Amino acid sequence: MSNLEPSRVVSKVEKERENDLRTQRFKSVALKLLFYGFLVLIWHLFANLETLKHFLFPTPLEVLVTLWNGISDKSFVYAIYASMKRLLIGYLISLIIGLPLGLCLGRIKWMDETIGSLSLGLQALPSICWLPLAILWFGLNEIAIQFVIIMGSILSITLTVRDGVISISPILLKAAQVLGASKIKLYTHVLVPASLPYILTGARLGWTFAWRSLMAAELLYVSAGLGSILTMGRELHDMAMVISAMLIIIGIGLFFDKLIFGYLEHFIAVRWGTK
Amino acid sequence: MPKIDLINVNKIFLGKTGVVHALNNVNLTIEDGEFLCIVGPSGCGKSTFLNVVAGLTNVDDGEVLIDDMPIKGPGTDRVLIFQEPALFPWLNVIQNVAFGLRMAGLLKEESYERARALLRIVKLSKFEKSWIHELSGGMKQRVALARALALDPNVLLMDEPFAALDAQTRDMLHEELEILWLETGKTIIFVTHNVREAVRLGSRVILMTARDGKIKREYKIDLPRPRHIEDNELIDIARIIRDDLKEEVLKVSEEVI
Ligand SMILES: Nc1ncnc2c1ncn2[C@@H]1O[C@H](COP(=O)(O)OP(=O)(O)OP(=O)(O)O)[C@@H](O)[C@H]1O
Ligand SMILES: [Mg+2]
Repeated sequence: MSNLEPSRVVSKVEKERENDLRTQRFKSVALKLLFYGFLVLIWHLFANLETLKHFLFPTPLEVLVTLWNGISDKSFVYAIYASMKRLLIGYLISLIIGLPLGLCLGRIKWMDETIGSLSLGLQALPSICWLPLAILWFGLNEIAIQFVIIMGSILSITLTVRDGVISISPILLKAAQVLGASKIKLYTHVLVPASLPYILTGARLGWTFAWRSLMAAELLYVSAGLGSILTMGRELHDMAMVISAMLIIIGIGLFFDKLIFGYLEHFIAVRWGTK
Repeated sequence: MPKIDLINVNKIFLGKTGVVHALNNVNLTIEDGEFLCIVGPSGCGKSTFLNVVAGLTNVDDGEVLIDDMPIKGPGTDRVLIFQEPALFPWLNVIQNVAFGLRMAGLLKEESYERARALLRIVKLSKFEKSWIHELSGGMKQRVALARALALDPNVLLMDEPFAALDAQTRDMLHEELEILWLETGKTIIFVTHNVREAVRLGSRVILMTARDGKIKREYKIDLPRPRHIEDNELIDIARIIRDDLKEEVLKVSEEVI
């Protein structure tokens, strides 16, 4: 046991680590499956209680059927498409403006003192509060919804990127200057990569806020989209439809948050040596 | 021919603990091709001196000239190697070394070729693809050295670059640096705590005072090259300087008590 050759020791350790990792993953997946299975079971039993008004408590199966019908008759698909289109447009505009603005705020003092303080102040306002103003300005149309999405996400993107730039170690900036980085190249080759972990956090936050603003706006101002399915479900007293829409909203949120941003953040943490 | 000229240079920091006169009426001429070493107690203003020459810090009074022109900001004719490695964590080793060349507009292949040659000098060829967080402290400092040398500057400003290295690597890099200096005739300003290192490398050694930012004394080192850090004559000279330095260090510790 103690007399193994070095290479065999390494391969033994490697194998053990791999096995450990696999058991760990298996345990975590099993636990999750068990938990959610249990949750659905409780829901099922609860929905079948005699004392409850049935239309307020559909069974899991009924929700599943509604979900399937909505997808196969394309009504949910169109709603998802409408919402995602709004979201992407608004979010991209926020990124395109917010990112460079954040970089500038982090570097240029007078901009930070003016636009920076304004952003900080406006952030205290929940984005949906912009809706009345937007409707009065732009009318009941797509632009009004875009406006709410942008106001919801741009501030957190800008301010997080600004924090990222400010937290860059000054010695890195000095090193870049000494090595001949011009003003513009300092932005593209140093400020952006150095604050990339923050930029990503900002993008993620911005996404979350954009998503929430959109849902709030769609609930209030009905016209095609996931929010309007929620409203429609309420009006039709169709709880299965309401829950279906909620599940879709959770699914989309998780997909972007965990899968896309989670992966990017992990990648950067490894590369930057912070993990 | 003078390369760098400091005329009545003053630099004052207003810190939380009070006024620090980091450079106090410093007058100094550094000849073209000189290897100047600066020693002095911690906090005496050595890094400040280098920052001023690098153009990263403005002086509060006086003039700093390079080739008879005032220094207005950083320039790639004089590259500073910082006390900490200050490498870019988002770039790997070879990308770090090539950074300055890329900034100067060189193409990727060309700059990598030069970067590789320098990585050979600092004995890090095997690590060209490594990420910075995978290197030891000494390896990082060697990458920083290679990154500065890549730009082939006329003036090299080095702030205790070898402090974190083991004795063998340090000896080796002393040799490399001496050869580089003899071959290229660069002007080098080298800051160190290690008096023997200063005598090993410098053609002149300057001792700074502990608290008031002045030059206390300077020593011409006329020992033949190549030198070795264990040469008897070298050790004798180092002893003299160390005694003077000790006086200054004691001043600081008395103040602290
Ligand atoms: N940005 C700053 N703000 C306030 N005080 C400063 C600043 N930079 C340096 N100082 C002070 O100026 C003095 C000289 O600092 P400097 O870094 O030049 O010392 P040093 O000789 O390089 O020391 P060490 O050998 O420890 O590196 C110190 O007393 C330090 O506290
Ligand atoms: Mg220093």
